[in-house]
Amino acid sequence: MSAPFRIDLRDVSTFPTRRDEAWRWSDFRRVVSSPAAPAPEIAAPEPGGPFAAIEASETAFANGRLPDGDATAYLTLDGGVHRLRFVTQADASGWQAGVRILVPDGASVVLLETYESSGGAYVANAALTFHLEDGASLERIVLMDEPADAVSVSTATVELKPGARFAQTVVATGARLQRHETHLEHPGQGVEVRMDGLYLLDGSRHADLTTVLTHTGGGETRQMCKGVVTGQARAVFQGKIEVRPGADGTDARMRHDALLLSDRAEVDAKPELEIYADDVQCAHGNTVGALDDEALFYIRSRGVPEVEAKILLTQAFVGEVVDRIGFEPAREIVGPWVAQRLEALV
Amino acid sequence: MAAVTETIRTVQGLEADKYLHGFVTDIEQEFAPKGLDESTVRFISEKKGEPEWMLAWRLDAFERWQAMEEPDWAKVHYPKIDYQDLYYYAAPKKKPQLNSLDEVDPDLLATYAKLGIPLREQAVLAGVINSPRVAVDAVFDSVSVATTFKAELAKAGVIFMPISEALKEHPELVRKYLGSVVPVSDNYFACLNSAVFSDGSFVYVPPGVRCPMELSTYFRINAQSTGQFERTLIIADRGSYVSYLEGCTAPMRDENQLHAAVVELVVLEDAQIKYSTVQNWYPGDAEGRGGIYNFVTKRADCREARAKVSWTQVETGSAVTWKYPSCILRGDESQGEFYSIAVTNGRQQADTGTKMIHLGKNTRSRIISKGISAGKSSNTYRGLVSSHAKAKGARNFTQCDSLLIGKECGAHTVPYVEAKNAHSVFEHEATTTRLSDDQLFYCRSRGLSAEESVALLVNGFVRDVLQELPMEFAVEAQKLVAVSLEGSVG
Repeated sequence: MSAPFRIDLRDVSTFPTRRDEAWRWSDFRRVVSSPAAPAPEIAAPEPGGPFAAIEASETAFANGRLPDGDATAYLTLDGGVHRLRFVTQADASGWQAGVRILVPDGASVVLLETYESSGGAYVANAALTFHLEDGASLERIVLMDEPADAVSVSTATVELKPGARFAQTVVATGARLQRHETHLEHPGQGVEVRMDGLYLLDGSRHADLTTVLTHTGGGETRQMCKGVVTGQARAVFQGKIEVRPGADGTDARMRHDALLLSDRAEVDAKPELEIYADDVQCAHGNTVGALDDEALFYIRSRGVPEVEAKILLTQAFVGEVVDRIGFEPAREIVGPWVAQRLEALV
Repeated sequence: MAAVTETIRTVQGLEADKYLHGFVTDIEQEFAPKGLDESTVRFISEKKGEPEWMLAWRLDAFERWQAMEEPDWAKVHYPKIDYQDLYYYAAPKKKPQLNSLDEVDPDLLATYAKLGIPLREQAVLAGVINSPRVAVDAVFDSVSVATTFKAELAKAGVIFMPISEALKEHPELVRKYLGSVVPVSDNYFACLNSAVFSDGSFVYVPPGVRCPMELSTYFRINAQSTGQFERTLIIADRGSYVSYLEGCTAPMRDENQLHAAVVELVVLEDAQIKYSTVQNWYPGDAEGRGGIYNFVTKRADCREARAKVSWTQVETGSAVTWKYPSCILRGDESQGEFYSIAVTNGRQQADTGTKMIHLGKNTRSRIISKGISAGKSSNTYRGLVSSHAKAKGARNFTQCDSLLIGKECGAHTVPYVEAKNAHSVFEHEATTTRLSDDQLFYCRSRGLSAEESVALLVNGFVRDVLQELPMEFAVEAQKLVAVSLEGSVG
């Protein structure tokens, strides 16, 4: 499971099934059983997207293509804020695209990554690689907002040089199958990593947040994932922390907490630790449950209607993930964005 | 403190890779020819004088097994097993009827003495009058040679006998429940077991009966390259209670030995089964050669309301351990518990944990797992907690802690959680750390040696689980943990 699955939409034999351990709860081949027809060419979207209010440079894919027709973007980001947008307007067809991002020595970058669409039953497959040089810093904020019948997979691998800092917050609202996967190698040597996730699912949406973190040196990792699931939706969280021999001094914490609001919804979680060094502190916590009846009762006893009380509690629950976003302008957009979707959910 | 001192003394009395229970008893044995085909299955069945339906059941299992593939998903590595190079049946050549201890081979009794098994149980085996009330069904290799206390149990209505005997005396019970918890083709090793199981224990506790004593079986793998295929079936009828102890030792060997047992527990309304295991089979030498492969399927079915099952295991032996004692919580308000200590040292590998499958309303489960890895060993907790959509009010608490002693060992935690309704609450916590330097320093500063300090801290680490063991086992288990870690400090 340490190397990501390389899906090629043209070749069914590369489609993972639930027999593949890393995809046991997200059966890709069940929802995509034949090669996807190429998505049509469309005009480049207007600059903007959910983070339009933030001043930033932008790279936008339209149905997996850059304005020059390429399917792979090579970006060197040496500072500031950058928008990376995957815009889809397709139906019964698919696209795949690649992005390679380099953050040079000492540069500090915010990446606002969005998956937007006005299409229907499309298949999207994005592969990203991040390379952070010495002392570089990247905060990656991902919003996945896709139609209920889409299939979307985004896979990232992250390489970090000494002193680099990588922080990630993924907000997923699900699709027919939506998977966000991150593979990160943590070399220790002053590197700091934060990997957060949030999913908000209703209807029969499916979201899968998968992370594989490999410590080859000591150092700190913090991971927090939360989610709210209702309707007949299904959430999958797979988090793996591997500590290789010699990665002494590793201090890794992982949390996953899920709120199940409906009896037909499902949460599947697999927080995994694989440890081959002894001077380590590793912990994971995992909870799945419903809203606390007593807390609900307390709020209602203060005169708050039930629905509002529920919204209040779920907002408090997911708020923690939003609050950890470091880049304030993004936090101010993600906060209301999440709140709006929560209201629809509860 | 006395127990700890004793632990330390035991540790000091041992040399590295010296397995306390490594010896071979030479008793004439009767073998089935090496290898496995239909005739082996027929041979075993015939030797045991089984009814026709049982043979058909075995043959069906054998046919299915041939179509199955050996699983490889566990985090364990071992050379491929040649199933044709094993003996599938070995019985001590003995008189057919063995009802009294006088008939037991003196060598065999000496074997038990050498095992260092609690004296009280030796006394039972030796037939000492007024000895403590522990019923022992001794399994020497493949055939249960002596069952003590049968009469007293019979008075209470409890049936406790080798399963081969139960097949003759209570065929209707065996037929009704055998394979009802672990289906024939449940998994590769369980299927193999169904085809060739040699013997094991059968327990039936009638409604409302509290079993007057703790039942105990000592498994012992003796003949060279003999697969040991135990089959245990315990049925606790409505409102009954039984506590079952299973303890294992095996002699030193050069060849790997396969042990693929199946344990089935059936718990009916308001009944309770407490199943405790201490396993210290030969783990192999310092290079990991010659240890036992322990691939066991253990499952309990809480079939009716308020049934309760409690698994407690202390796993210190075997070269490769691969087992997940599970609970199917079918009855409303049924409960499952799993308490485990898994200690690996040298080159041992353990992939163990549990499954809690919540199907009924308000079912509860609790998992406490303590893994200790030392040397070059690998220790994995793998568990599943799942709730069905109808399992409203299901509740699980899981805690698995791992302790690492040394630079070259591995400790892994692989929990699976599947929640399918909004009224279940699942909590899982896991930590992995090494022995705290601060705590060690504190112990040393109070005058304890390095070994004493480690023994003290490790005993503290596993205390939650030791508390769950019956008295007979608790002291032995504590010693075992210390002995298993011997040589890992410094």
